[in-house]
Amino acid sequence: MPKHCQNDIRPGASLGRRGLLAGAAALGLARPAIAQAQPLRIGMVTSLSGPFTALGESMRAGMQLLLAQSGQAIAGRRVEFLVEDDQARPEEGVRKARKLIGQDRVDLLCGVISSGVALALRDVVTEARMPTFLLGSANDLARKAASPFILRPTKTNWMLGDTAARWTYEKVSKSKVLTVGSDYAAGREYIGDFAEGYRRLGGGIGRQLWTPLGSADFGPLLTTIASERPEVVYGFFAGSDAVRFLRQWKEYRLAGRVPLVGTGAFFDQEDVLPAVGDAALGAVNTFHQSPTAPASAAFIEAYRATGKPLPGEFSTTGYVCGQVIKAALERSNGDLADWEKTRAGLFAAPVETAFGPMPFDPRNGQAILDIHVNEVKRGEDGRMVNTVLHTYRQVRDPGIPA
Amino acid sequence: MSLSRLALPMAGLAAMAAVAALSGDFQLRFLAEILLIGTAVLSLDLLIGFGGLISLGHAALFGSAAYAAAIAAQHLGASLPVMLGIGIAMGTAVAALMGLVILRAGSLFLLILALLFGQIVWEICFHWREVTGGADGLRGLPPLSLGPWALGDARSLFVLAGLLALGSLGVARSFVASPLGRALIGTREQPIRMQALGYTLFSVRFRALLVAGAMAGAAGSLYPFVNLYVGPQSVHWTLSATMIIMLVIGGVGSLWGAFLGTAVYLALQTYVGAWTDRWQLCVGLLFVLTVLVMPQGLASGFLRLTRKGRTP
Repeated sequence: MPKHCQNDIRPGASLGRRGLLAGAAALGLARPAIAQAQPLRIGMVTSLSGPFTALGESMRAGMQLLLAQSGQAIAGRRVEFLVEDDQARPEEGVRKARKLIGQDRVDLLCGVISSGVALALRDVVTEARMPTFLLGSANDLARKAASPFILRPTKTNWMLGDTAARWTYEKVSKSKVLTVGSDYAAGREYIGDFAEGYRRLGGGIGRQLWTPLGSADFGPLLTTIASERPEVVYGFFAGSDAVRFLRQWKEYRLAGRVPLVGTGAFFDQEDVLPAVGDAALGAVNTFHQSPTAPASAAFIEAYRATGKPLPGEFSTTGYVCGQVIKAALERSNGDLADWEKTRAGLFAAPVETAFGPMPFDPRNGQAILDIHVNEVKRGEDGRMVNTVLHTYRQVRDPGIPA
Repeated sequence: MSLSRLALPMAGLAAMAAVAALSGDFQLRFLAEILLIGTAVLSLDLLIGFGGLISLGHAALFGSAAYAAAIAAQHLGASLPVMLGIGIAMGTAVAALMGLVILRAGSLFLLILALLFGQIVWEICFHWREVTGGADGLRGLPPLSLGPWALGDARSLFVLAGLLALGSLGVARSFVASPLGRALIGTREQPIRMQALGYTLFSVRFRALLVAGAMAGAAGSLYPFVNLYVGPQSVHWTLSATMIIMLVIGGVGSLWGAFLGTAVYLALQTYVGAWTDRWQLCVGLLFVLTVLVMPQGLASGFLRLTRKGRTP
């Protein structure tokens, strides 16, 4: 009921003073009625056990920080925040999403780290017509798996792989790039998009090495790299794989001798750099997140005030996701009933986020992002910090090929 | 006699109808998932509970049938009899292959060979990206149908899963009562005497494995349509291990306990998981408690309680 009151007021406001007064009175009455009667239920599916536990906890912390800053209310509606664990398993994620939709009756869904879970959720949320802010980064989510009910306030793997190819070709080396990466969906995309972009520019790719997800010993790989003598190594590892690779990279005395380029998660500020000492010093990565990017300064201060270290990708992503949800609701006066309209409102103008101003591509609901080229440098207090060298402005995923 | 034999299925059907009428979409899909995985656990009970064949590769039968059905559905459409046929054929075929490998050994080696066989199937599903979608799995499946009727909604799926579960329970019961089932128990209890009586251990066990494979395959063929997704997790050995835990909680050798154990496990995972990240601790505690207090599982503990109630 209150929703109708609000919608009726807008044309009424132009009717004259009486209409305006009546409208103001109705508004004054309607707002608290909404806040009391209809809390906004936000469901998050993320990994709280399994290989991405730390990332999932960071994502939840980022979102919780935004909700705390907003006084647990968005657009006048009290927020109930429900988190479910997907264990980084698609079946589990689907079951939890169905529970949030069917049993807890959430108003919108968000979250997801694993691309596999994100792709599995695509049909579920589309079938249920559930507004979803999906944070997995598989390219297909912005391409053939795009959905009118899915918004993507984060990067796609292509955005990082392709910018890394541009930077490497222009500034580092025009040939003899060796690639190394974790052999799973995301790794294949990061390395594949890099190789494609690099070849398109005219560069030559040398050997391509793969290791299974969760490798403990990179020795054979590193001796191969040493004997190949590449001009530059481009790599992708995430989480504990990244930590082990970088430590052994230094033990094998490759650090500082062979230039290392990668995607951001390989040198994540929160989960990787604190664990590897100076092994990553001088490495270059492309990322939509950086602790030295001006847009994220306010968020970083607030995040550190809660006793956390310098934020990395997923805490920032969780926070940005909250900012985008907040913007979407505020632009539609807290009403999600007409999703088409809410979506159009979000596409109308960029959202100010900790990733910088974020416009959306109306074709696929994919965010258009600034991609930073970071170099790992020694900060003032001796800590390793991802420092912005250059920013590719407004990188847009190619989307669905026409 | 005939009345009491009919009573159980009738009660089952009545309960299903009541649930189907009263529950919401999420609950129905959840129950359908319990019934389908429960059917696979039931087929595992035939091997473990009656043949003493502890297989750690049962998910390979279930999951490969799920993949076969999903792949077929993308090309042929998801007609129910076709899906069931493909699932049963795939489950039986994989069981036959698995039987050739694992039934050469006993106890511990059988368990390990089954584990390795299962991991080979998993490797194929994980790396054959063109066909199985690799780590991403398969999605974009058409909804299940039977002629002109669409069966993709939660209620139809639940009813289908319920009918399959009841049917499988009936098949399992008559299998256990059949000469082959009795011989299977014999091979578990007195393998040497059974050989002396002229039975070939391999052939008795092999045929039992084929029956279990067909049953797990039938359940697997409907599984992708519950979530409109199938991924490598459904063939991974951790699912095989989970099935054994479900079976132990429910009651080894009780047949219907398979459904009870599956329901308890999945409910713990789904509902306790919403409260705490440590739901696996609860599963572990429950498992230990079951083994210590009710070694025959919840099913027999439940029966004991009701019998005590009847004779004061």
